[in-house]
Amino acid sequence: MNGVFTRIFAIFWKDMLTEIRTREFVFSVLIFAILELVIFSFAFSIRANMVDMAASGILWVALTFGGVIGFNRIFAVEKENARLEGLMLCPVDRFVIYWGKLAGSFTFMLAVSVVVTPIFLILFNLPIFLPRLALIIVVATIGFAAVGTLFSAVAINIRARDIMLSVLFLPIIVPVIVAAVKATAPVLAGKPWVDILTWLQIMIAFDIIYLVVATLVFEFVVEE
Amino acid sequence: MENIGYLFAAYTVIWAVVFGYVLMMQRKQIQLQRKITLLQESLDESKTNGEKQL
Amino acid sequence: MDNKRILRNNVLLGLGLVLMVAALYMVFVYVPTEKNMGVVQRIFYFHVPIAWVSLLAFFITFTFSILYLWKREMKWDSFACASAEIGIVFTTLVLITGPIWAKPVWGIWWTWDARLSTSLVLWLIYVAYLLVRSFATDPARGARYGAVIGIVGFIDVPLVFLTVNLWRTQHPATIIFEGGLTAPMLLTLVVCIAAFTALYMLLLIHSANLKIMDADVKHLKSMLQEE
Repeated sequence: MNGVFTRIFAIFWKDMLTEIRTREFVFSVLIFAILELVIFSFAFSIRANMVDMAASGILWVALTFGGVIGFNRIFAVEKENARLEGLMLCPVDRFVIYWGKLAGSFTFMLAVSVVVTPIFLILFNLPIFLPRLALIIVVATIGFAAVGTLFSAVAINIRARDIMLSVLFLPIIVPVIVAAVKATAPVLAGKPWVDILTWLQIMIAFDIIYLVVATLVFEFVVEE
Repeated sequence: MENIGYLFAAYTVIWAVVFGYVLMMQRKQIQLQRKITLLQESLDESKTNGEKQL
Repeated sequence: MDNKRILRNNVLLGLGLVLMVAALYMVFVYVPTEKNMGVVQRIFYFHVPIAWVSLLAFFITFTFSILYLWKREMKWDSFACASAEIGIVFTTLVLITGPIWAKPVWGIWWTWDARLSTSLVLWLIYVAYLLVRSFATDPARGARYGAVIGIVGFIDVPLVFLTVNLWRTQHPATIIFEGGLTAPMLLTLVVCIAAFTALYMLLLIHSANLKIMDADVKHLKSMLQEE
């Protein structure tokens, strides 16, 4: 059991080191997400009284599409450097690769959220200290990462790679998006826990289901 | 009997789409048949060629 | 074995024909007009069975995808793919007939209620399934990836439905199907479901056989070219 965690962490740490050195991923996604916030603000001409209805959605669209762009990179970097075959040669269970990559993509998306969300809150004149929002973002990001990592592995091996990731990813995570948006809106408005609980439960259920399914199914994607 | 136009439209669409799908399958079948015939001829040819060489 | 198959197919064809004719009779002659919605309501008798059968089709894809990943026999993959295609055709019909029914009755083409929204997401998921298969670099990989999508996609369906349903019950839905079904309506509906299930099975067998034949022909071709 110990060996499994070590290997997962090894894959995760390799990705982290690469990213810290090159910084290509986080910055580009960050800028993209911030741009989205700005464009949406202009597009919807947000006035003060509209914030409640639209703000939650705007945040999650920005995070979702930023995430999609990011997930494209997870396995693409392996393929580009022909490291995928090397990774496959390692005598590890396939799900170890999945969880290693999952840890990396989760961390990246969380890092992006940590920067984008405060900017969002400031732009829309919302309270900044919202621990419940942090919880929602963490839970939703787990779901995004679980699905995104799996589909990233599928997408790199087929044509129209970038578009296919979006086409695969977005319909599947509809439940997460709906639940996240509906959970965030009361948090932004300062409403009690009760309003959020059901949505959180849905997201947690989604996360668990998809983590299990993806773990089981991942070996079929990377077998050669 | 108002809105009967809508009723007609709905059933027409159902019929048209199902029929369209059947037609697509039909065309696929004809294509396959043609390929099989070609393969058969190719097989016969190579057989006769093989016999000539003997 | 072949004769048994031909017999079974013919029985299915005959049964399907009889059921379809019966369904048409019941929908247009037997069942009385619904008092609130009028004649247009009769769309319901095909719309609902088509929706149910599309779900059946995707469940079959789910099952055969698992079977394929387990046994790796091409025929399971052919059935999975054929079922997904038919499922998409039927889901498309649901998405078209739904608005055609809704517009005269409730005045709107579309609403984001649980069932319509789930149908739309379902359509998107399985179109992605077909795209993955066609964009794969070789058929074996396409089959494998398709199977993964077939499994992952189907699991998502109840999640989507539950989530959207919860969302909509918080805002009272604009569409409520009032009243229950009287006995004749229920009977008509059941016959229609049977008729469309028979149609589905016919289409599935035919389409899957075509795909199996296609794979065989390709295999033969490559073998021949090696000589």
